[in-house]
Parts: sequence; C-alpha cells; structure tokens
Amino acid sequence: MGDEILTPITQAMKEGVLTRKELKALMTRSNKQGLLHLLLFFCCYCFTGFLIWLSLGSPWVLPAMFLHGVILVHHFSLQHECCHYTPFKTRWLNEIIGHYCGFVLLIPNKFFRYEHCNHHTYTQILGKDPELIELPISFWKYLWYVSSIPYWQSKFGELFRHAIGRISEEEKEFLPPEEYSAVIREARLYTLGYFIIFMLSWLTGWWGVIWFWVLPVFLGEPVMRAIRMAEHVGRPNITDMKENTRSSMVSLPMRFLCWNMNYHAEHHYASSVPFHALPKLHEKLEGYVHVERRGYWGAHLDIITQITGTKPRSDVGVS
Amino acid sequence: MREKFWRDLLPIAELEQNDVTPAKYGTLDLAVYDTTDGIFVSLAKCSHQGANLCHGYFDGKYIECPLHQGLFDARTGEPKASPATRKLIMLESRIHKGVIQIFR
Repeated sequence: MGDEILTPITQAMKEGVLTRKELKALMTRSNKQGLLHLLLFFCCYCFTGFLIWLSLGSPWVLPAMFLHGVILVHHFSLQHECCHYTPFKTRWLNEIIGHYCGFVLLIPNKFFRYEHCNHHTYTQILGKDPELIELPISFWKYLWYVSSIPYWQSKFGELFRHAIGRISEEEKEFLPPEEYSAVIREARLYTLGYFIIFMLSWLTGWWGVIWFWVLPVFLGEPVMRAIRMAEHVGRPNITDMKENTRSSMVSLPMRFLCWNMNYHAEHHYASSVPFHALPKLHEKLEGYVHVERRGYWGAHLDIITQITGTKPRSDVGVS
Repeated sequence: MREKFWRDLLPIAELEQNDVTPAKYGTLDLAVYDTTDGIFVSLAKCSHQGANLCHGYFDGKYIECPLHQGLFDARTGEPKASPATRKLIMLESRIHKGVIQIFR
C-alpha cells in the first residue's frame, strides 16, 4: 500500500477554496445530462457526415471530411470522461460508451483507463506521467507533433504490441500484472473488430468507412493533438497542480464538443466532478488554478514563445 | 495481544445522511458510510494509492475513489472495479446510545 497522498481536492479543501458540501453537490451524477449531450453530439456528426455525402465527388469533400473529423476526434473527450465514470450515473454505460469511443479512435478503453490513472497521479512529472507531452525543442518538432504522425505511430504500435501479447516495460509501471491478459484480450478484440469491418467493406465494395470514418479521423486528429497540448505543454514539470495544468477559456461550441474538458485544471482538482458541473467548479476555483483567458490560441502562443526563446522555457532545470 | 473494546467514534447526529463521513480515532482517519444496509466503517485511505475516500462519490452502497475512480463495496470493503484490487480495511462497528462505535 502506498503512503497517503495529498490529492489536489484534499489540498483545495484544506486551503478553504471549496467546502465539503460544495464538492459533494458538484459530484452529483446524472444519466439525463450525459445522454442529452451524447444525442446532440451524435446529431453533430450525422450532420457533418451528411455534408461529406453531399460533397462526394467534388473538391468540397476535403473540407467536409476535415469538419467531420474534428467532430469525430472529440469522441476522445467523451472517452476521457467515461474513464472517470462521470458522464453517466449508471456505471456500465460509461464502460460501454468508453469502449465505443475507444473503438472509433483506436484507443482501447481499459488500457487507456490504467494509463490515465497514472497521468492523474504523476501529472507532468517527467518519466512518470505516461501521457506527458514534452515541450518541443524546436518549431519543427512542434509541427511534427501536431501533424499526428508520431501519435499514430505510437497508437498503431501499441495496439499491435498488445495484440501479439506483449506489454512494454513502461506500461508495466501502470498496469498491474493481473490485468495484462485483459489488456491483451481487449487489443485482440478491437483488432478483430477492425478486421471484420474492413472485410465487410471489401466484400460489399462499399468503402464508406474510409470516407466517413478513417480519413476524417486522420484529418481531424491534428486538432485534437493541439487541444491535448494546450492542457499541460508549456506548464512546469512540477507536482503543484496550481501550476502544472492549464485551463483554457474557449467558445461555447468548443466547450460542447470537448465536454467541458477545457476546464482541465478544475478536472485535475476533482476528477469525480462530471463535465456538466465543471463550469461551476471553475467559478469556485477562480484565481486558484492557472487559466489561459485567450483560449487554445493563447495556450499555443505561450508554447510557441517558449520554443522560440521569447519566453523562458517551463522545463528548464527539470532533469 | 491488546484487548479490544467498543470505542466511541461519532454521534449519530453528526453523520452525513446517505453519504460518507470523515472521522478520526487517534491517528486513524476513518470513513463512516451511511449505506442502505446500515452503518459501516473503513480506514479512509484507498487501498490503491492512498487517496482519502471521504472525498469520493458514494451512492449508498459503493464508494468511489476521488483520484482514480476505483470502486469498493462500502459494506464489505471488497474492490469492485479497477484500479482497485485490494480490499479496504474494515472496522467492526455498531450504534450504541446514539453514538457510532468501533470495536478496537
């Protein structure tokens, strides 16, 4: 058993930022809120899918696929919420929808959940946070990361490695040995699912999966990489949650798409608070966490000025 | 071995209804659960990585860790969902003359 740890929420309550009663009220779960949001989200990507269908055979198909892809990659925001069991009160709904999102994006849900647990324990700590994205050393490295090429290399490699029954040394840091077989089984089931879908496409000659799923996800993923960078990149590699995470104030459509995960510092403070209560938690933690008022653009401006040397790098002095 | 006695922990009036209440006995941090099947007490520390379970989501039967959302049955301490794999340390409890007591 590990030593008792001072979680961010324990710290916030000790410092009087939030009362126990307020926290408990914010943690209230609801199937209704989650399902309504899911329905609207589903309508969004049906609409963008319809735009692709309308534009097939014309040059407009590319922007339509990009737009559809931007919506599709936000399945990640929902999967992330589901891995915290917060969007739906019924626990198994979070499991099922988490797997659905994971299947859409090549992110096996069980494996992601374990990886994400360590991200919350060791946020921004080099060598310990498995989701840490390092501050790029040059502008070209920044563009390379945003291109999503290294991301897909890692995702395909991960799925292949697990499907052939291998767990890397890094993964053994956050996966308990009794779960190795479940992670391997999960990767094999996802691979089998993809194989069946592509075989059916081949047999029927209908390649809608490419136009409505695969290509849009590849086109949209750079947007998700940029959003993921805004959460921690350019913040110091220290344990202090007030400093190591960035919330970004973004527009209502973006907040809707990302299931309020722009309130990222608030989420790290109390990961049991569901997406629909994060704006209220943000009000409570006002001035206590780091907020980028210029939104995702401001976050990237901050990152780029650190890369180009206009501003001191946040990772200087960290080994 | 030290003899065990029933020891006062918390007046029932101070219990957070249908929720988990933090309590202290000596240096021990405890979690008192007002479950649908009665009062149960465990060490407040999550058996996974030590977060305080009193700050977690409780639905009347199961307590969820506030840090990683691992799940435990608050009546038995049994782990019910990953990343929780080890049982919580439970303490025998009863209500006596309006006070929740633990056998220790």
